[in-house]
Amino acid sequence: MAEPLLRVDNLKTQFFTDAGTVRAVDGISFEVHEGEIVGLVGESGAGKSVASMSLLRLVESPGEIVGGEITYRGETIFGLEEGPDGELRERDDMLSNEEMRDRIRGNEIAVIFQDPMESLNPVFTVGGQLREFIELNRGLGEDEAREESVEMLREVGIPDPAERYHEYPHQFSGGMRQRVLIAMALACEPNLIIADEPTTALDVTVEGQILELVDDLQAKYGTSFIWVTHDMGVVAEICDRVNVMYLGEIIEQAPVDELFHDTKHPYTTALLNSMPRPDRTVEELEPIRGVMPEAINPPSGCRFHPRCPDAREVCKRVHPGNEVVDRADGTPHRAACVKHDVFDVGYDESVPLEEEPQVTAGTPGGEDR
Amino acid sequence: MGLLRYTIVRLIQAIPVLIGITVITFILANVAPGDPVRLMLQGQEVDQELIDRIERQYGLDRPLHERYVAYMTNLLQGDLGYSIHRDRPVTELIIQRSGPTLMLVLSAYAFALATAIPLGILAATRRNEPADHVSRIVALVGVSTPSFWIGIMLILIFAIQLGVLPSSGLVYPWWGPEHYGYSGYVELLFQTIRHLLLPMIALGTLQMATLMRVERTQMIESLQGEYVKLARAYGVPERTILRKHAFQVAQLPIITIVGLNLSTALGGAVLIEYVFNINGLGRLLLEAIIGLDYQLIMGITVVIGTMFVVGVIITDISYAYVDPRVTYGDRD
Ligand SMILES: Nc1ncnc2c1ncn2[C@@H]1O[C@H](COP(=O)(O)OP(=O)(O)OP(=O)(O)O)[C@@H](O)[C@H]1O
Ligand code: SF4
Ligand SMILES: [Mg+2]
Repeated sequence: MAEPLLRVDNLKTQFFTDAGTVRAVDGISFEVHEGEIVGLVGESGAGKSVASMSLLRLVESPGEIVGGEITYRGETIFGLEEGPDGELRERDDMLSNEEMRDRIRGNEIAVIFQDPMESLNPVFTVGGQLREFIELNRGLGEDEAREESVEMLREVGIPDPAERYHEYPHQFSGGMRQRVLIAMALACEPNLIIADEPTTALDVTVEGQILELVDDLQAKYGTSFIWVTHDMGVVAEICDRVNVMYLGEIIEQAPVDELFHDTKHPYTTALLNSMPRPDRTVEELEPIRGVMPEAINPPSGCRFHPRCPDAREVCKRVHPGNEVVDRADGTPHRAACVKHDVFDVGYDESVPLEEEPQVTAGTPGGEDR
Repeated sequence: MGLLRYTIVRLIQAIPVLIGITVITFILANVAPGDPVRLMLQGQEVDQELIDRIERQYGLDRPLHERYVAYMTNLLQGDLGYSIHRDRPVTELIIQRSGPTLMLVLSAYAFALATAIPLGILAATRRNEPADHVSRIVALVGVSTPSFWIGIMLILIFAIQLGVLPSSGLVYPWWGPEHYGYSGYVELLFQTIRHLLLPMIALGTLQMATLMRVERTQMIESLQGEYVKLARAYGVPERTILRKHAFQVAQLPIITIVGLNLSTALGGAVLIEYVFNINGLGRLLLEAIIGLDYQLIMGITVVIGTMFVVGVIITDISYAYVDPRVTYGDRD
């Protein structure tokens, strides 16, 4: 397979808070190839947004990328090496802050933000904001950038774009603002767009329109996407490959059909069962039991074990990595669950865990790796 | 033309407020203890007939509401009455004395804004670093020190100890260089600033301190806004984010505070004019109060009240101008 557009290897991002270290992203690896839509799925708090911002090196204090490697088209967005004194330090070939700002953010990788209501600046016109980003990232002059902005607003389905160009964000509905955010990303002509739950704040009809729009535009421009969502329905609709995140880790990774029809991780199964589908009544929906623990103090062993219906004693002890458990047409299907034979840690012989009363914070303890 | 209509609506809304000001000052001035005629005659033994005659002459024998209507009729013609003590029309006195007060208050605001905004931004971007701590102390001292005391200290240090700046009076540029015997406009400007410096700082420090803290808080909040994250994600340089994206949003509350503090500033001006011997409205008011010069007290109160109302309207309008989210009643 060709060199991927983006490769993320064992990325770790942590927040150093007064309460302790929050391991928001804890060693995730995935790839994005040219023209692909890759899903990043998980419940609220799984670390999806932190992972997205890490890719642009825009983690906010007190957060910091503490390990791993991010490579974009052969360039190192993030990478560490061991210095002569044994301390980890940033690699020389890592892009500087200026290079990230001038060459990567916006022009190579653009983000569609999660919150359409807060993401636009209230005191500038919609068109002005769009124009500024176009000028900056495509090096166009003011007039050209203005024309391009109007064109882009039209493209994302905003009626009377030439007039609405001069309006302020508060004059736009939530769906319209989301379209503006999408227009911003597309207008900069990046090769990769990270869409952080761009449809969550919208109602279903608008969501449908926007997904269709993205599909069309993706076909037209061939842009790659990382599509962040907690909605399996959206994943099924637009993604080519999917990464399922749980508590800072990717616990299953597969092409979309395999994920849905040959699910390998109990958490993914639970997510799918909790998803409304036409062939199921509301009573048949099974919400995932319990809530996701805090990333500040994750459960020992498999982080999903307090909520997993298949959990056995061994799951409390062994922390499974995201291993290849199957292959479909040469594409690996990875899952982090000791049920699978590749782990060979004695799952079959282990005793099932009693249905514990639900704990929200996991038992403290080391992880074996 | 939403903004123009908004301006007109705001001006119309100010009319009842201004009428209210005149009613209240009128009643207060007329029910206050002390008989103006006897006070004017300064304890001379006179017969009742003379007193009645004087009262008739000034219309003091008529019922209150008639006197109010007469007062308002004159006021609308620009006649604020007659100062018995000074033997001059009130309007003339006020016009003469407004210049210094306006000059003082406006320069104090200019000083406050010119220092508070950069210092507030500095404190916001260097949060919990030495610059922030210093600004916090300056603000605390500024808020808790009375302006007249600051004035006295400034006089002690710069006028008496160092002898570099004058301690009293102002130079009014509109009187021209010849009036002061200056060589030309350059010297006139120089002297104007030299005289204005201490009272301006004394009056402006409180405003500076409040505005600086507000600026800091607003900038911190604004810098954490999603729109700032968005700008960063699109490669906007940090300098532009600070100067444009975060700054514009953070200025909105500053405008409001400036308007609200206008009353404190006008009140402070009374004391500062006293400390620095400035012949402004504030001193005129103090002297009028001490002398129970009713017509003058009322005239000044009405004028200061009007200045305040106009100030608040200007604030509202500039807010509407800067913040597009302000709706002007209905939109067209
Ligand atoms: N500024 C911060 N300080 C401390 N912890 C943070 C900060 N930002 C995020 N986190 C933590 O990182 C973890 C992951 O958060 P993140 O926002 O990535 O979740 P998410 O998957 O995007 O959820 P959602 O679907 O709600 O957007 C959470 O446990 C969160 O508490
Ligand atoms: S490792 Fe155990 S607890 Fe974790 S998902 Fe698999 S079966 Fe469930
Ligand atoms: Mg998120």
